[in-house]
Amino acid sequence: MGKLFDLKLVFTSIPELLEKLPITLELAGLAMVLGLLLGLLMAIIKIKKIKGLTQIINFIISAIRGTPVIVQLYIAFFGIPMFFKYLNQRFGTNLAVADIPGFVYAVVALGLNQSAFCAEIIRSALQAVNEGQIEAAQALGMTYLQTLRRIILPQAFEVALPTLGNSLISIIKSTSLAFTCAVVELTAQGRIIAGRSYRYFELYISLAIIYWVITIIIEQAIKFIEKKIRIPDQVALLPAANSRSVEEEHG
Amino acid sequence: MVKIEHLSKKYNDNIVLDDIHLEIKKGDVVGIIGPSGTGKSTLLRCVNHLEIPESGVIHMDGKTVDITRKRGRELRYLQQHTGMVFQRFYLFEKKTALENVMEGLIVVKKMSKEEAKKTAMQELDKVGMSSWANHYPKHLSGGQQQRVALARAIAMKPDLLLLDEPTSALDPELVGEVLDVIRKVAEEGYTMLLVSHEMNFVRHVANRVIFLDKGRIVEDGTPKEVFERPKNERTREFFRKMYMMNQPEYII
Repeated sequence: MGKLFDLKLVFTSIPELLEKLPITLELAGLAMVLGLLLGLLMAIIKIKKIKGLTQIINFIISAIRGTPVIVQLYIAFFGIPMFFKYLNQRFGTNLAVADIPGFVYAVVALGLNQSAFCAEIIRSALQAVNEGQIEAAQALGMTYLQTLRRIILPQAFEVALPTLGNSLISIIKSTSLAFTCAVVELTAQGRIIAGRSYRYFELYISLAIIYWVITIIIEQAIKFIEKKIRIPDQVALLPAANSRSVEEEHG
Repeated sequence: MVKIEHLSKKYNDNIVLDDIHLEIKKGDVVGIIGPSGTGKSTLLRCVNHLEIPESGVIHMDGKTVDITRKRGRELRYLQQHTGMVFQRFYLFEKKTALENVMEGLIVVKKMSKEEAKKTAMQELDKVGMSSWANHYPKHLSGGQQQRVALARAIAMKPDLLLLDEPTSALDPELVGEVLDVIRKVAEEGYTMLLVSHEMNFVRHVANRVIFLDKGRIVEDGTPKEVFERPKNERTREFFRKMYMMNQPEYII
């Protein structure tokens, strides 16, 4: 028996682990984008109280929030192929189920999971936008979609950003469960490497360090963006060159 | 010319507007006065289709718009050709004064950015806000915000400008600057519907005054007629109460 704890291995294995970092980031990124788009759609349906759809969406959100991510991943992994087989049997098509990589299942499952949480975050952010500004846009003759894109979303984004940042961090960590869909990302790579030397403890420490660093980077990036999009506290006056001003006061 | 016909609106059982008929000639400045809760604001909001009434038709430029419908091309036409100034300004918070005025020009009028910027600067200049063009609403006082809101509305060159108590949310000392700008806009020949509690201002800027009570027009005439020789008992009572307030508490 060698050393109880091999500190060197914690760091020497990091480069090999990082080979799979792109997979983790892609998974998280794509799932986040999917989650945001679906979440926005669900949020708008809930705000507009579209009959029928709202109830369906409430049901979906409740189901997703009420079940663990790992169970959802398994359901996607087994369920999607079954669905395709059903389609093939039913319509006599020949959709190649086996060609779909596990990566896709993981993105779908994580994205759906994310959308349920994003929907609530986005809904509250959209509703935080002052109704009067929406009326003002409407009074100018803007359509709802124009108002949404140009007036509501930029403001809602600022409100939702910190919470969405947390979601992104949590999804980064959820990707460690993607091995259930046969995706080799950071954590799966760690297990593979550890399997060679039986140094599991050291490898998990390396993984912990990597995830932690990613999280810190995301936190800082979110802070930077928040600062960037905030309305500045003060702006200089423009020189009133051609102004025939009715202005007396400056306050 | 704008013609409003059969405009009725109720909230549950509360009738706010009761079969209103109103014809507004081009260039008219119509002041709408009356006690609180008589549907003055609702009237404007229905004309701009921010509220959907139970019944009502608006004739405008040979077009007939059914304002009881939820959406449609005519309704967009109506909104694009009427401008609204709100009591609480409602400037777009994430946009500068200039961008606020440019927004409608770019999105609705499909102007190029340069053209929109030029027009917007002219309008801001008109309301005395051109040197504040790069300021965000939160940097501006209420009076300044309302002047930008006015510029935003008139930049669209509306056929009918609706002003919903434009000075009610302002500190007393800021009311004057906004009224000055409204007077200027009125002198340019804009057709306006003005709801206001500034009786003296309405009297001087409007060429026609309407007194609204319980959702009906009970008085309609020139400012002189309405303010000096009101025909209706309700109107007389309203003015009596108002003049009572304006009287000094003590005379030595």
